[in-house]
Amino acid sequence: MLSRQRLFWRLRPYDLPGSDRAFLRACRDNCAYHIRRCPGYAAICRHLGFSPDQLQSMEDLAKIPVLPTLFFKRKALFSMPQWRMALKVTSSGTSGKFSRIGFDWGCILAEAAMVINLGFRHHLVSPKPAHCVILGYKPHKSNHTGVTRTMFGLTHFSPPLSRTYALRMVEGAYAPDLDSVARALKKLERSHFPTRVIGFPSYLWFGLKRMEELGLRVRLPKGSRIILAGGWKQHAAQEVDKGTLYALVERVLGIPEDNINELFGAVEHPVFYNTCRRHHFHIPAYGRVIIRDPDTLEPLPMGRVGLINLISPLMCATPTLSVMTDDLGCLTPGEQCGCGISTPCLTILGRVGMGDIQTCAAGAAELLGKGEAF
Amino acid sequence: MIFANGTLLPDTERNAVLNGLEAQLNAVRGAPPLEAETVISAVDALGRRLEAGEFAPLLARFLPAGVGLDQLLPLLRREALEAKLAAELGPEPFRPRELAQTATHVLPLGVLFHIAPGNMPGLPVYTALEGLLTGNLNLVKLPHGDKGLSLAAFQLLTEQEPRLAPYLYAFDLSSGQREDMKRLADLADGLVVWGGDGAIEAARALAGPGCKLIEWGHRLSFAYVSGYEDRDGELSALARHIVETGQRLCSSCQVIFLDAERQEDGLAFCRAFLPYLERAAAKRPGLGAGASASLSGHTALLERIVDGRAAGETLFQGRGCSVIFRPDRELELSPMEGNVLVKLLPQAELLPALRRQKGRLQTAGLLCAPERREALVDLLSRAGVTRVTRAGSMSASFPGEAHDGEYPLRRCLRVVDVER
Repeated sequence: MLSRQRLFWRLRPYDLPGSDRAFLRACRDNCAYHIRRCPGYAAICRHLGFSPDQLQSMEDLAKIPVLPTLFFKRKALFSMPQWRMALKVTSSGTSGKFSRIGFDWGCILAEAAMVINLGFRHHLVSPKPAHCVILGYKPHKSNHTGVTRTMFGLTHFSPPLSRTYALRMVEGAYAPDLDSVARALKKLERSHFPTRVIGFPSYLWFGLKRMEELGLRVRLPKGSRIILAGGWKQHAAQEVDKGTLYALVERVLGIPEDNINELFGAVEHPVFYNTCRRHHFHIPAYGRVIIRDPDTLEPLPMGRVGLINLISPLMCATPTLSVMTDDLGCLTPGEQCGCGISTPCLTILGRVGMGDIQTCAAGAAELLGKGEAF
Repeated sequence: MIFANGTLLPDTERNAVLNGLEAQLNAVRGAPPLEAETVISAVDALGRRLEAGEFAPLLARFLPAGVGLDQLLPLLRREALEAKLAAELGPEPFRPRELAQTATHVLPLGVLFHIAPGNMPGLPVYTALEGLLTGNLNLVKLPHGDKGLSLAAFQLLTEQEPRLAPYLYAFDLSSGQREDMKRLADLADGLVVWGGDGAIEAARALAGPGCKLIEWGHRLSFAYVSGYEDRDGELSALARHIVETGQRLCSSCQVIFLDAERQEDGLAFCRAFLPYLERAAAKRPGLGAGASASLSGHTALLERIVDGRAAGETLFQGRGCSVIFRPDRELELSPMEGNVLVKLLPQAELLPALRRQKGRLQTAGLLCAPERREALVDLLSRAGVTRVTRAGSMSASFPGEAHDGEYPLRRCLRVVDVER
């Protein structure tokens, strides 16, 4: 699918108007591909009265059938045989159930171009080797989560000298070990090379709080960075505002706010959203975002809060052209940010909380992923 | 953590506790049984302290935000417990009855192994309480989500009344620790299990042939509309019930069955009912409830399309809710969160349709003309429902009512006949 590669190999990642035509074309091709190859997706389009030729202008993107991430947790839909896929990945399944998403080779190629392009743009790429401290899972053959793969991938923006993981497999289960991470950071303070701390913001927060309590402070070498990915997950209740977290990073690790990058993405929508220097997620040319009315799912105008609908023609193995997370968020005009990037900013305001539902209606527990034996 | 004989122990002690458990249980069994009065006065005293706010900081630590024990508190009173005993077991249940040649003694079943649910805080304590009231020894497997509330409650209860201590054990086990689960099940005369199909099936595999199963599975409930006493009032009440319970409870309305044959009548009902549901949905605070409703409803629609089940249905989309008219006559789980199914079910077909869900039926919210009520209640009861209520009170609890068609305390007892 050339239209996809043409979109993802564009060199100006924040030129939305300039990419509109290529985006629309790639969406049309992607939709037609899934309709041809995935009977379930074809049935959905037919039932909802949608066909790819309805995509004539950017406004028409809202007409593409929206598949909630919740749907992928209950049904695995694929548009190609599994042997043709490059890999299969699962979401982290905070609520007990996870999506199974296939990645095709064309998707990997397109993703690589996007990640390198944005990596340069956001100063993630560096030729200077660095030590990596990963506040996330150490890859293991039993772990297929997208976030583990992403964090491992992020260690390659600069030549990795070492990797220290906060979550390691001990006797068949992941166990956190923040104390050994703290020890590693103390040691890396004296290195000639910078350190990159990559991980879940919740682990960074808990880890640094613990270090502060113990009176441990380090001054990591110049050029050290923090790269945050994966959201607060099951620790959403303890989520702190960015300013508080950044101040803690500066106090305990000596890394200035400018060297903190945050990332956003989903297994079902692996577009590489990066924060700008003012810590906003601007929409890159590879994706589009529609905020939808929580009560009716109709598109909302700029500035209103609603459910986040993410659109990207990135994947061919799974029909994830238009997906909806269970996060609430809003879009604001990019010019208001003042960082120089003019595309709209996406602010994520938190989960709807579908995973917390407790039920005793027959069949419901199984549906919500709580149908465990006991 | 483990709670054993009035003491909290670390999980590392589990093997030691389990090794000595049989001998301990037998020793307690050999002594005169626990009297209901001992349990009632202890629970009543604790309930009063709870109501006075003495344990507020403790509860705040263990309960999720916004969740209280309001439903449980009234049950922890002497009057409530005595009424429960009287309603379920009759007056003076433990007094021997003299028959022509024998005397009948009512005794506790013995050892109960409770597999407690995590879907309502306090339920692990409640199920153990039913076991205690009937004089049983209780081994409780705590649910995953229990952050310590049940252990704290057991400790308070045994501090209040030390005589209860030998009757209470609680374990933090996961389903993976099958061997220890089996050891506990082997010691039990009865296995009390709460939960969905998965939990019930696993419990059945765990309990040996000599162990009685006391199952509290998940249920389905529905409304049956065959006319009205006060159409506007009843439809408003039903809509409020659907929205307020989020259709998550055993007693929540999943399907509205209409006593009608013609599709036009079904579609007309949906059009008429949607505004009632929207009015109820509009009263939910915040954006989250509407978003949950939309996500659940839309996801369920996509699933039905992919499964080839969406043909012939009509969707009436409202703001933060929906009414789905389906051509079949089955009782099934709705998409929940304010998305209700409507189906035609003429009286003549009611019994066979409901029988297909036997063992899962719970509440029928009945809307009908007063003169037809008795006949319809009979029909619904014969079809297998265990509660018939008015439209708005499907999830209300009534004093003295049974639990899913049974008196739980009776199931925790056995009878010994002694020839003179």
